[in-house]
Amino acid sequence: MALAPSLHSLVHSTAVTILQHDLPGLPEIVAQEVATFTVRRLGVLAAHMRLGVAAIALLVRLFASIAGQPRLLWLSKTHLPLLGEYFRLIRSLSYAYIWEKWPDTRSDGSPA
Amino acid sequence: MNSMQQIWDDANESKMSCEVLIIGSGAGGSPTAALLAEAGFDVLVVEEGRWVEQGTVAPFSLDQMEQQYRGGGVTVALGLPSIAYTEGRCAGGGTEVNSGLYRRPPTEVVERWRDRWDVRDLDPDELMKTATEVETDIHVTHLPGPASVPSQLLRQGADALGWKHDESPRWMTYPDGNPRHGQRQSMTRTYLPRAAKAGARILTQCRVNKINISHGKATYADISLANGQAGRISFKFVFVCGGAIQTPAILQRSGLRKNIGQTLAVHPTVKLSARFADAINVPDDVPVHQVKEFAPDLSFGGSASHAGLIALSLLDQWSDFKGAIEDWRNMAVYYAAITSEGRGRVMSVPGLVDPVVTYRLTARDRELLRSGLSRLSLLMLEAGATEVYPAFRGAPIVRGRKDLATLQKRFSANKASVMTVHLCSTVPLGENRDLCGAGSYGLVHETKNVYVNDASLLPDAPGVNPQASVMAIAVRNARHFIAQEKPHA
Repeated sequence: MALAPSLHSLVHSTAVTILQHDLPGLPEIVAQEVATFTVRRLGVLAAHMRLGVAAIALLVRLFASIAGQPRLLWLSKTHLPLLGEYFRLIRSLSYAYIWEKWPDTRSDGSPA
Repeated sequence: MNSMQQIWDDANESKMSCEVLIIGSGAGGSPTAALLAEAGFDVLVVEEGRWVEQGTVAPFSLDQMEQQYRGGGVTVALGLPSIAYTEGRCAGGGTEVNSGLYRRPPTEVVERWRDRWDVRDLDPDELMKTATEVETDIHVTHLPGPASVPSQLLRQGADALGWKHDESPRWMTYPDGNPRHGQRQSMTRTYLPRAAKAGARILTQCRVNKINISHGKATYADISLANGQAGRISFKFVFVCGGAIQTPAILQRSGLRKNIGQTLAVHPTVKLSARFADAINVPDDVPVHQVKEFAPDLSFGGSASHAGLIALSLLDQWSDFKGAIEDWRNMAVYYAAITSEGRGRVMSVPGLVDPVVTYRLTARDRELLRSGLSRLSLLMLEAGATEVYPAFRGAPIVRGRKDLATLQKRFSANKASVMTVHLCSTVPLGENRDLCGAGSYGLVHETKNVYVNDASLLPDAPGVNPQASVMAIAVRNARHFIAQEKPHA
């Protein structure tokens, strides 16, 4: 849990960016809540996985700061080992949370 | 049961002692604790997770994963592909969170274990008698009425194809006779109360870091509590029952490595979502029917299917599949499980709290996953599915038999969401010292008083849900221990 604050700074905005792209109808406040949940769950991963996630998240944040958000979205569609799994993990936790908590959410993320 | 959690506070000191320390309270540890306590041993059970009363969390929910699973339900065996797995981390272990389905080990599997791993006195008939006792203890039974619609659809699809299928019994009671109102007879409802009644102490939120062993004899365990307090538990005997991942990790941290954690076996599964014309979704339960036409290589069954899990199953091809999520009430998730010839490793790394787990699928495993997903899609079409959504990147929507060729062509295990809930074989039992980490009754080789008694002992994956095998062998081993050690106790 000691890494949770740094994970938040590394992952939260990336998660929000991905959600707003994948699910354009998702209200901003909901995207923020979902990203917070996702970061919290990343914080309880096994130690080596948490470290791996933090390392990849750091590289992704550096990339985004240099290349910009559109390139981040391009990067989020990669299927490279580890990098692809990082983005998949964010999407998995986020989508599971959205549709478990609000099962009638539309496919674009907008409320029913 | 809450009084069971007060042991450490009552002790109010950083040292405890017992005659038999049992690490872990799942399908192996709980029956071991009950039998040994009833035989008169002074038993202390330690469990890393919390005691969570049944009914206080929704089954298969994210909340349950947070409270009762290790790593919040996100644990992975690294590899290409990585395989997601789950481990219960609570009083009762995996029995509190799994689907409760029960399958005896096939006789030929027990014979294979006995012959290849040289397991002394492992008689299939005797083991089945023990299984019968376990079935009484945990109330293994069939549904008292019709199965859920997703379960019936599996049966209908298999009937249409002429494939063998059956209803898997579960360890449930149905107090009002309604098949929807089953009460899981997990370890917190059965063997743990029995152990406590016989005098066993049960301490939750207590992690064993290391067992101290000198010249093959273990004397105490270093532990830590949830509040950070460190302590020590001394004992005469120790049973490590933390499951197929944590048990080898504890042994490795204690300096035991020969044939420990090197032969992880699992049943890898791939999934799909099937969409029907009518509402069929049952959010809080799983189908009981399983299709066994291609067993033991391949088995088909149903998974938990609330809307969040439907969304997860559509995730790999979200751009094409996303529209289906709005129709989740007409959908359910199904799986194809294989008996893998691959193997994995569990490695405790100094400085890391959790072990690193890896798994490698063989070429044969990959082909089985491909054919399994294709056959499962066919099964769903025959069951009346209007659309099938296989869970892998690049998957097509399957609307008819003609689409199965496309599915087969595009499938690659590396693109699939492969997962498993059946983990075993990391400390195989037997006298063959080239293969086995423990003897025929679970005593770890090269030690005098360190026993393993959980899924780690199964020599390889049984091809069916392993809990019955785990419990029957645990009871067998516990009885042998009582016969050997009680006269000296």
